[in-house]
Amino acid sequence: MDSNRQQFQEELRQLEVSALGGLDLVAGSLDRALETVQERDIELASMVIADDDRIDGRYLEVHQGILSLLALQAPVAGDLRVVAALLHVIKHVERMGDQCVNMAKMVPLAGHDPPKDEELLQNIGRMGELARSLVIQSGQAFQRRDVGLAVDLVRQDDEIDRLNKACFRRALEIGDDPDEREWAMHMMLIARCLERIGDNCVDIGEQTAFVVTGLFREFEDASHPELAPQPPGA
Amino acid sequence: MSVAEAGIARLAVERASRGQQVKDLIFRAALLLSLGVGFITLGVLLVDVTLDGGSSLSWDFITNFPSRISPERSGVQSAVVGTLLLMVTTALFIVPVGVATAIYLEEYADRDRWWNRLIEVNIQNLAAVPSVVYGLLGLAFIVRAPLSLGTVVLAGALTLGLLVLPVVIVVAREAIRAVPSSIREGSLALGATHWQTIWKQTLPGSLPGIATGVILALSRAIGETAPLLVIGAALFTRFNPNDVTSDQFTALPLTILRFVTDADSEYQTLGAAAILVLLAILVVMNAGAVYLRNRYEQKW
Amino acid sequence: MQEHVTQDPEERQQETSGRVDGVPSTREGQVQTQALEAKGQKATGERKPIFGLEKVGVAYGGVPAVREVDFPIYQHQITALIGPSGCGKSTLIRCLNRMNDLIPAAKVTGKVNYHGEDLYGSDVDPVQVRKRIGMVFQKPNPFPKSIYDNIAFGPRVLGQKGDMDEIVESALRRGALWDEVKDRLKTNAFGMSGGQQQRLCIARALATDPDVILMDEPCSALDPISTGRIEDLMLELRENYSIVIVTHNMQQAARVSNMTAFFTVELDEDEKHRTGRVVEYDDTEKVFTNPSDERTEAYVTGKVG
Repeated sequence: MDSNRQQFQEELRQLEVSALGGLDLVAGSLDRALETVQERDIELASMVIADDDRIDGRYLEVHQGILSLLALQAPVAGDLRVVAALLHVIKHVERMGDQCVNMAKMVPLAGHDPPKDEELLQNIGRMGELARSLVIQSGQAFQRRDVGLAVDLVRQDDEIDRLNKACFRRALEIGDDPDEREWAMHMMLIARCLERIGDNCVDIGEQTAFVVTGLFREFEDASHPELAPQPPGA
Repeated sequence: MSVAEAGIARLAVERASRGQQVKDLIFRAALLLSLGVGFITLGVLLVDVTLDGGSSLSWDFITNFPSRISPERSGVQSAVVGTLLLMVTTALFIVPVGVATAIYLEEYADRDRWWNRLIEVNIQNLAAVPSVVYGLLGLAFIVRAPLSLGTVVLAGALTLGLLVLPVVIVVAREAIRAVPSSIREGSLALGATHWQTIWKQTLPGSLPGIATGVILALSRAIGETAPLLVIGAALFTRFNPNDVTSDQFTALPLTILRFVTDADSEYQTLGAAAILVLLAILVVMNAGAVYLRNRYEQKW
Repeated sequence: MQEHVTQDPEERQQETSGRVDGVPSTREGQVQTQALEAKGQKATGERKPIFGLEKVGVAYGGVPAVREVDFPIYQHQITALIGPSGCGKSTLIRCLNRMNDLIPAAKVTGKVNYHGEDLYGSDVDPVQVRKRIGMVFQKPNPFPKSIYDNIAFGPRVLGQKGDMDEIVESALRRGALWDEVKDRLKTNAFGMSGGQQQRLCIARALATDPDVILMDEPCSALDPISTGRIEDLMLELRENYSIVIVTHNMQQAARVSNMTAFFTVELDEDEKHRTGRVVEYDDTEKVFTNPSDERTEAYVTGKVG
């Protein structure tokens, strides 16, 4: 392989490291956002919001790197699929960062009062753990090109969805107190952010499968439930 | 580089060039000397001949027939006509035979066959055989049996032709080989047969080279004396040959020989004049070859 | 990894794009079909083979140059042969118009079918073969004659009937050269630029009214603009002719061809010779986005060769 190609391979590798590094930034943001929710820490909330600039910056960096590689190096085959996938991955990273910001924004609105419903809060905590796990796992799956690991993301995402529905029902049953109802709405919105984070991670898993197989298949399409792939061993 | 180093480097360059310059001068002087030897010799010869025979050159000289008795009425018409007839006939012989042989060797012969390799090697050898041997060949097989032509123009032409044939073959082969294979491939890829490609592409492309080679071969043949002597041609005749079957013929080299070996110094002078005539014909032929080459040469 | 070489690309297309009975059953399959058709690719089932290569091999003086070439070449498509130097792609393309006959040491094994008939059959006239299967070479090779005589050469030696002026004009028009040279048909062809000379060679090949045009690295001696014009010409010609092109330029293969065959050169089992063979033959888009063989992947991404 001549040095030009070697340099290209190195640039591609760096681009991937950079994009997947965005997922680490998201995990950090998510941790802080969840802590904000649990502790009702408004100062931490404003930190999360400010830190999103780093994620946005990472997005722009990776995006520019992709354009440069496409224009100058004309990647094909496997390399091309990686570049295309990274474009999707960094977009999902940016979206997840925004979801963390949305969660943090809810906290000042929910106020300093103690939580109105412990179970709802616990569900959200559980959803948060799962979401964090998904963020890390999606990055690992992509980096290792592990389709099995990618498909497994669906399982955890299904759990998040189930918990989301549970939160919805709790919110409905919360009662007539306007304060309580308002609090519940805010919690619902936070749950929704976590559910979106889960979906973004599954999308990253699909990109992993695309890079490996060359075929783009949605793991779980809301309109085509019958196309959901079976996790290995099933 | 410091100032001192730069200074030393400059000196070193200068010293080298001075030594080199001297070597250059010596070399060039040696070259000019070698050139000079050739030119001066030729120059001396030309001057001598011109001084000797120049005054005898006239239109009468060319149109008169040689006479044994009166040198002032002798001319070289029979020799000139004989030479020209010989050259034309020789050309008619060597062109088809030489070109055909070259085509065979370049286009058809399988180099792995032993007989083809034998032919190749021997063509080079044939060019080195002394001309008198060709004369013997002509006498033995052309003048006498099996061809039994007798001592006629045709026999002389065939003998001379055999002498210069190797030259023609070599030159024709070079010209044919110079045609790039891309032209041949292009022709064949369009559906032409091997022969069509040779006839319509290779030969037309090599024609200028072949023509130049033929003229040079004839320039050599024109001056050959020994073969004609051996087959028994006359040293001079008082008549022009009627056609190729005529046995009354002579050629310029033979007549020159006759004149310069005569005891009478007046005839010797005529010999010098005849040499000038021969040289003039040679110059015209070579000029023609150069013109052809410059005008029509194919640059691939 | 599964050997895809001998499998018909049509079958493979059914497998990977979830096609059943030629009708795409997944959205992905539908998208693929649309993309291919936009590129002038015939959909599965509409492509007709014009050449059938069955275990074709060529050896020079006993040393195999390329072996076991086995795939169909389709009509009205541009098929590209790519691969590193010495992998036998030029050798193979010369089998298609029997130019290998001219090399005494060359021996062709296997079967080359043209419209179903054996090209090397005993009753087949190589001259007729070359009339119908034309060739353009790497370095433009116009004859040292006028433009008119260059074009007319083929029809004349083949004894084609008809008005020669019309034949010449038609060929030059099809070769996208007429407007540039119509006023100087009698001038020497060597006076043209490199790109024009190559288009002349293409027009010359078209004059004999062939079926197929073989091109052995036609643009490698040309500048990018001339290359672009010849690529445009190839796309126009695809309507009426079938084109097979050997190219070192992968971007070119990606730009113009419908099908791509990737050749590689490997040590034989008996460890004595390095021989060329076909590794993969598929739709060009697949070869450049998701090749089946890792050797193809390594070559097209530049990691090797």
